[in-house]
Amino acid sequence: MNRTNSIIEKILKKPVTDHVVISHSSSETQHIRFSNNSVNRENLFKLEEEVKAEVGFDGRTGSYQTNDLSEEGIKHAVKKAYEAAKLLPKDPEYMPPVTKEEAAAVKNFKPAFGELSDDRKYGILRDAFRDIKKAGLNSAGSFSSNPYTVEVHNNKGVHVSHSNCVSSLYLTAMTGNSSFKDFHISKDFSDYDGKAFVSGIIERTRLSKDPAPLEAGKYTVVLAPAAVEELLMMFLWYNMDAKAIDEGRTALSARRGERIADEAVHIYSRPDHGRVGLFPFSPEDAMPYAEFDMIRDGRLANAWHSRFYAAKKGVRATGRAPANVIFKGTDKPLEKLIGSVENGLYVNSFWYIRLVDLMDGIFTGMTRDGLFRIKDGKLTGSVNNFRFNQNVFDMLKNTAEIGKEKEMVYTSMPPITVRDFNFVSKTEF
Amino acid sequence: MDKLQEVIKYLKGKKVRFADAREHLFREREIYTEDTRVERITEQNVSGVGIKVLYENGWGYASTSAKDPASLKKAADKALALARHADKAADGRVELAAEPKHVAKFATKIKEDPFELEISGAVGALLEAGELSLKGKDVIKANAYLVLRNMRKKYANTEDSLIETDVFTVLPEIQATARANGEVKSRHYWPAPMNAGYEYFRGIDFKTNARRIAAEAREHCFAPSCETGPTTLVLDPEHLSLTMHESVGHPTELDRVLGYEESCAGRSFATLDKLNKFKYGSDIVNLVADNTLEGGLASCGYDDEGVECQKWHIVKDGVLSGYGVNRELAHKLKMTRANGTTRATKYSDVPITRMPNLYLAPGKKPLSFEELIADTEDGIYIEGMGSFSIDQMRLNMQFGGDAFWAIKKGKLAGMLKNVTYNAISYEFWRNCDAIADERAFRRAGFITCGKGDPMQAAQMTHGASPARFRNIMVRRAK
Repeated sequence: MNRTNSIIEKILKKPVTDHVVISHSSSETQHIRFSNNSVNRENLFKLEEEVKAEVGFDGRTGSYQTNDLSEEGIKHAVKKAYEAAKLLPKDPEYMPPVTKEEAAAVKNFKPAFGELSDDRKYGILRDAFRDIKKAGLNSAGSFSSNPYTVEVHNNKGVHVSHSNCVSSLYLTAMTGNSSFKDFHISKDFSDYDGKAFVSGIIERTRLSKDPAPLEAGKYTVVLAPAAVEELLMMFLWYNMDAKAIDEGRTALSARRGERIADEAVHIYSRPDHGRVGLFPFSPEDAMPYAEFDMIRDGRLANAWHSRFYAAKKGVRATGRAPANVIFKGTDKPLEKLIGSVENGLYVNSFWYIRLVDLMDGIFTGMTRDGLFRIKDGKLTGSVNNFRFNQNVFDMLKNTAEIGKEKEMVYTSMPPITVRDFNFVSKTEF
Repeated sequence: MDKLQEVIKYLKGKKVRFADAREHLFREREIYTEDTRVERITEQNVSGVGIKVLYENGWGYASTSAKDPASLKKAADKALALARHADKAADGRVELAAEPKHVAKFATKIKEDPFELEISGAVGALLEAGELSLKGKDVIKANAYLVLRNMRKKYANTEDSLIETDVFTVLPEIQATARANGEVKSRHYWPAPMNAGYEYFRGIDFKTNARRIAAEAREHCFAPSCETGPTTLVLDPEHLSLTMHESVGHPTELDRVLGYEESCAGRSFATLDKLNKFKYGSDIVNLVADNTLEGGLASCGYDDEGVECQKWHIVKDGVLSGYGVNRELAHKLKMTRANGTTRATKYSDVPITRMPNLYLAPGKKPLSFEELIADTEDGIYIEGMGSFSIDQMRLNMQFGGDAFWAIKKGKLAGMLKNVTYNAISYEFWRNCDAIADERAFRRAGFITCGKGDPMQAAQMTHGASPARFRNIMVRRAK
């Protein structure tokens, strides 16, 4: 047992109230950022270790977070949380700590991950810069590695711990008037094929050069997994809270039981997926994340329930954000989706998505880093970027094809083909 | 000798070209209330030291929460090792603009330290506002929010600067949501966030405004939709703070302009060839950067490169006139000095160019808000911030708002709903044909401006008097 855990255990043996939860997180981040084919931005290493104390008192809860991990520092955090709790009015949504019986449902997993040496990381970047320069292109991006551990302990005997790592390389390559972006996310980069990754980016970046003018309007689009993630996650975040749905404050309030997506759309969460998702339990209180369907057979299956609201409704808690979000894919590669489109657009990613109308699920945003014309099943060149104002229910209902999933940090998303995607204006590039 | 100076002395011995060390305490208390309950209170107290090293032409940064000499030396060694790696992939010589040596202190002028007070007072004020809002007809939800922040820093560098700063920030907001007539609409009251003590919070009239926003949220539910098409807009200071933030503040960060932010925040149309030539707005548009503004959220005395905070024009008489510039990139503009707007959020963050306090200067001719409306035959008046989105070159922008009124024959003629407008940023500012005078000047601002990778949230003040924009494309949201 490390020193911090010994201190936490000591504090929990004589808890200040019958509700003391201490979460303890530690991480080691190396983040190398680059632009203009050079490591010239954030190039950092940080060790972070923090504890957060939560103390409940007579139906009230206070919390305090610190990175002073001395015995005095952690005791001070507990004291401040207790003081805060005592000053608050009673909370009608107060919940006691997670019990051992509840925590037994945690679907923990032990992902295999390895740390990359500095030489490997900077070497991967030098190779990429060399190939991109040779192709006459410019590049920008980041290479990050972040092993971390999260533990939650409470005075009811709960002790849960999870270690994981996310390593990622994001690379945007540019011509003088266009760009294309791709990424590789991995536990240890043993699956990284630098030549294939960089040459794929170079090929698409060259194709993006000299975007042709095109007017806004409704188009059949193939959305890459990153674009699906960006828009879908924004939609879910605004709309899936069960309490807000019951209170009539989300677009799903008036659509329960209605068809909201094509029948083939299946969106779910699986805490022990192993490759996507950050924790199998809530890092706040050790609540086990649940495996559940969100959208299935074209309809809302389950909303996101906090512990309080789940108890009130007599259902299982999922957390107000689940362990991960998975859009079930097929075995169709992206090329097959593009190949099925006679006349349309391929969207590599979106940018700056914001809510426009809450109750109808309308969002706006821009295309970015790769918008290509599809003619007779082939990418034929790029076009100027567009702004969209899109009703996400229409997008899910107009989903014509679903491709093979791509795993990202928190999600696994397939490319999808969507009819009548609503672009409303263009920009100057 | 101070521990930061010790580590700087150690790095000088390693033949670095430049190094600095920043001890950085970040204290923050956030209170969220929902209806008549406290949804959550979070409090954090996080501190550590960040060390930045320039070795030949490579930068490295390492941080530690431990402040003992051995941990600082270890972090210094790591920063130096990373800088050596970066130097191998460097693409040109790094030139740092000169900055005088500063041995100085700066502190926000406060009367009451919010962290020395019990939280029950603030909680009570927010819950009372929620209660009052909920008494409004058809109001189904009342939310309130308060952030109290203190950033205390000590800075030392290889040029013998030694600077201490102590900044306090207060940001309150209340919101009411009504459901009626088949609609759900929210309305907020957002007093200007300020670098100030708790006395600022005490002076805010939540009661009157809680009742007002409750009534306006409901009225919004019954409002007719706007028409789609080009029209005249009159925009209030809070709304303008967001448009200037997105379409002027970000595109004039020099690191963006030069491609350093390409992979995340994006680049900018306001390229160097346009400096002192490009018509960014109409002749009456003056946009001023001022990190010396008292109570401004970016007013910190000295930035995280040890550069003194300054004031300059971004747009002068409608022409692009300046950028936010750090020490490394100043020479690209042939500037001899950075302008003091490089900041980091926490000790573990690398200081980067951040938006300064930025405001639209009031109109020079006498013109009240009422006179501005009376002078507008037909159009839409927008208050507050709503939906906002802009492309990565900062050209195509679309904004909503918090509340909208029709202007007919020089008078406000009832609320509208579903208003969004869409423009190319510089065309929008070129279409500004009237700005109310200084009597109508109000501040607003942000503490959550995202930039950098890893992402950092920075704070800055904006301000404006209400202003009018002609021929702007308005589109019904649905």
